[in-house]
Amino acid sequence: MTGHGILLDRLTVRLGAFSLNHMDIAVGAGERLVIIGPNGAGKSVTLETIAGFHSPRQGRIVIDGCEVTRLPPERRNVAFVLQNFGLFSHLSVTGNIMLGLHRMPRGRRQDRVAELLRQFGIGHLAARYPQSLSPGEKQRTGLARALAAEPAVFLFDEPFSALDAATHERMRRELLDFLTDTGIPAIFVTHDRSDAHALGTALAVMCAGTIVQQGPVHAVSRGPASRFVAGLLGVDNIFPARLMGESRGVATVASGGMTLHAVGRQTINNTSLDVLVAIRAEDIDILPPFSDHAVANRLAARILHVVDEGVLSRIGFNCGIALQALAMSRHVREMDLAPGSMVDIAISPEAIRLLPPDSGWLGATE
Amino acid sequence: MTRGANLAAVIGGLVLALVGGGAQADQPVHLKIFAAGTLAQPFQQLDALFRKQYPNVIPEPRFGGSVKMAREITELHQPADVLAVADYSVIPKYLFPDGGKPGYADWYVGFARNAITFMYTKNSKYAAEVTPDTWYRVLARHGVEIGRSNPDTDPSGYQTLQMLQLAGRYYRDPKLAEQILANAPPANMRDTETSLIAALQLGQIDYLAIYRSDALQHHLNYIDLPAAIDLSDPKDADLYKQAVADTQNGKLPGRPIVYAVTIPAHAPDAEWAAKYVALLLGPEGQRIMQQNGFGTMVPPYAVNATAMPASLQPLVKPWPGS
Amino acid sequence: MGLGDQDWREEEAIPLRSRSNSQPRGLFLACWLIGSLMVGFVVVPLIDLAATPSAASLASAARDADLRQAIALSLEAAFLTALLAALFGVPLAYTLARSRSRTSTTIAAIVDLPLAVPHTVAGIALLMAFGRRGILGAPALALFGMQFWGSLWGIIAGMLFVSVPYTVNAARLAFEAIDPRLEQVARTLGLGPWSTWLRIVLPLARRGILTGLTLTYARAISEFGAVIMLAYYPMTAPVQIYTLFLRFGITKAAAASVLLLAVCLGLFVLFRALAYGRAITVGTGR
Repeated sequence: MTGHGILLDRLTVRLGAFSLNHMDIAVGAGERLVIIGPNGAGKSVTLETIAGFHSPRQGRIVIDGCEVTRLPPERRNVAFVLQNFGLFSHLSVTGNIMLGLHRMPRGRRQDRVAELLRQFGIGHLAARYPQSLSPGEKQRTGLARALAAEPAVFLFDEPFSALDAATHERMRRELLDFLTDTGIPAIFVTHDRSDAHALGTALAVMCAGTIVQQGPVHAVSRGPASRFVAGLLGVDNIFPARLMGESRGVATVASGGMTLHAVGRQTINNTSLDVLVAIRAEDIDILPPFSDHAVANRLAARILHVVDEGVLSRIGFNCGIALQALAMSRHVREMDLAPGSMVDIAISPEAIRLLPPDSGWLGATE
Repeated sequence: MTRGANLAAVIGGLVLALVGGGAQADQPVHLKIFAAGTLAQPFQQLDALFRKQYPNVIPEPRFGGSVKMAREITELHQPADVLAVADYSVIPKYLFPDGGKPGYADWYVGFARNAITFMYTKNSKYAAEVTPDTWYRVLARHGVEIGRSNPDTDPSGYQTLQMLQLAGRYYRDPKLAEQILANAPPANMRDTETSLIAALQLGQIDYLAIYRSDALQHHLNYIDLPAAIDLSDPKDADLYKQAVADTQNGKLPGRPIVYAVTIPAHAPDAEWAAKYVALLLGPEGQRIMQQNGFGTMVPPYAVNATAMPASLQPLVKPWPGS
Repeated sequence: MGLGDQDWREEEAIPLRSRSNSQPRGLFLACWLIGSLMVGFVVVPLIDLAATPSAASLASAARDADLRQAIALSLEAAFLTALLAALFGVPLAYTLARSRSRTSTTIAAIVDLPLAVPHTVAGIALLMAFGRRGILGAPALALFGMQFWGSLWGIIAGMLFVSVPYTVNAARLAFEAIDPRLEQVARTLGLGPWSTWLRIVLPLARRGILTGLTLTYARAISEFGAVIMLAYYPMTAPVQIYTLFLRFGITKAAAASVLLLAVCLGLFVLFRALAYGRAITVGTGR
């Protein structure tokens, strides 16, 4: 990778009993990597190492073509954005932004601050102090301050925790606009799956200091490589099955009395006939009654429960195995679904993922 | 519920103990004794003897500068059973009735003598060269640090000044006092001489103007001065009068160092106080004073003996000249 | 970028104080009642003292040059004490706040020791170390001509020994309250470690540090036992008041005390205004 962006090359860090192992990450201009994983996976440690607060035992960090592995944080040109944006309460909005400009000659600072205030629409807040700002205003100030320092990379550590849904969405939209406009590469650490999809261009799943799977967002979320990743990404239906056969790219599996056909790249090897089947709840279609055109993987099912979650509804049903489907609530109302009804469900063959049987979290990506 | 009952029982018990304690018939008597700092050691031995004779009486001594002790009684109205000072004139000056001022005492007894001298250690500068004949030249040398107490607030302070004047006359050296005092600047002064003992032992000062009894009690060296200058003999009182110390409290003529004791008015346990003073004035008390390096007065001299408790009057003789 | 136009309602930042309109009245009342006993315990003796001297004796105390000089000396020495406490105690407090080792907990406990040492004993210990034959005093005298006996240095030594724990503790708590991640953010903005400490950490800890320094200053002014071991002359205010008591009794001593208290009260009000006055205007930005 040349020019802009950040590269982590076999980065290993030891912190007491915890270690980051051989991390390989590349984020180019205009790209946004989301790191997702359970608590203690090492996501924050990764960000802190990139920012320069931990010394790696092995490996390199390269930012915009320069190796920064041994440089102190203040020389790395990295912007570190925390929850609550880490504004300094003893300085006004202007004062905070000025801090990012301390390398600029004094004469030009005022102009640049005015420019940034305008750009972020916070000119009317120039003399205010962080305690009196709303979360959205804080985000804009924090971003203005970070941008003032002209970073090569943005690092975000759970930026939207503890916000109500409406503010969260609004701020996420603004942040996305900001990142797309500036094109500065960014790395996010978050728990929130919807943030991962909305903000990321690539996804990396971490566990116990190692990246378990990474790739473009949709590729990873539609193609988890292991049960662990599937569970983390919100796949609700994971069950064991037996591989019955495979021919011309179509794999046939059987479980609980039903037979399913799956296509697409599957991540299993052939040493065993036992597999895990992973199907996203929203990929299960509930067919309107009396529809008779032929669809793949059509099964009869009895509805067990319907939970109306507002916009979407979760439907639990049994088609030989207890599964969950997710559908728009208004469709559910139109079809008059209720516990006990018999319906037909259909699953697209591309939506059926086959995973190796439970072998821990590494799956087949070693 | 039982926790609340327990708490009530504890509080009730405490209240009963506090109230009931005051109602007991043979409760111990706390005898409050105010005494000059230099009397600390002998008085502690006297207290032990007193307790053996009267086990239900607990002497509670406190020690400090004579003037400070007197002021605590007259100004702070602290209850006191016995007051013993290092300079007998402190009692009439601060406690006797005076015009409009109410009095806190109207008699006192001189019970021990002392000498003012200089105390030093083997590490003191030029210690080896100090003799009764050359001491004043050694102490006047440049670089010698001498400590003394504040003449405005403490008897030994002005007694030191008087002693130096007498020495000047005795050794026929008019500059003696001035030269020695040059080595005892305000930095080397304290409100009472006992505060400087630590400084002497740590080597901050070389010589400390203090009573002979203190030197003996601390097993430190002292200069054996002639009676004509060290204020130790009441027979030389006329000689001592000629030395006058100039203090902020006025010009004070020299007097023999006589320790005096009285029982202040409003003493909480006056009868026990009288028994204590009797022990002090009697042969056992005198022996303790002597063992601690004080001069004895046999029999003790009293001023205004008729005002004393009847039990004490046989023990004393009137102060000569009063 | 389109961030300028707001056609939705922005969330209001509600100031913390007005967030509740139903406080547990009974509990607060009980606390005030119990607390007022404590306030009375402190205030009644002081009022009693303040009411003792007549206006004439107060005027005469104010005219007493020795007393004025003693008070000025106390104020000056306490100021230098606070300065030393700031220069040496604040950096120490920072390391204690940021390190987690057993050594740092031990050192924090050691720094608190002077609070438990009787003042006379502290004075003797200081005399032992800083006297002309002392392990620190002898070289100080020989190399720098610096004397602690009967001098301003001795006064400062006595004051500092008993009052430095207040600065260290308050500063340590203030530093502990600063999220270390804020320091990390400052570093990534390009500030080096020293710049971060001076421009971010210290200002954020300012209030706590100033509170500690005020306590140190107050404690230093009032110290008697440790100071008098090292220095009787020049006389600080407490020593002068004590001497006035010995010579003249309670009236003069009380008048002098009231004068000292009045000066101190004025100073502390001034300190508080300087330290917190700005902070009061910081939060109200609307």
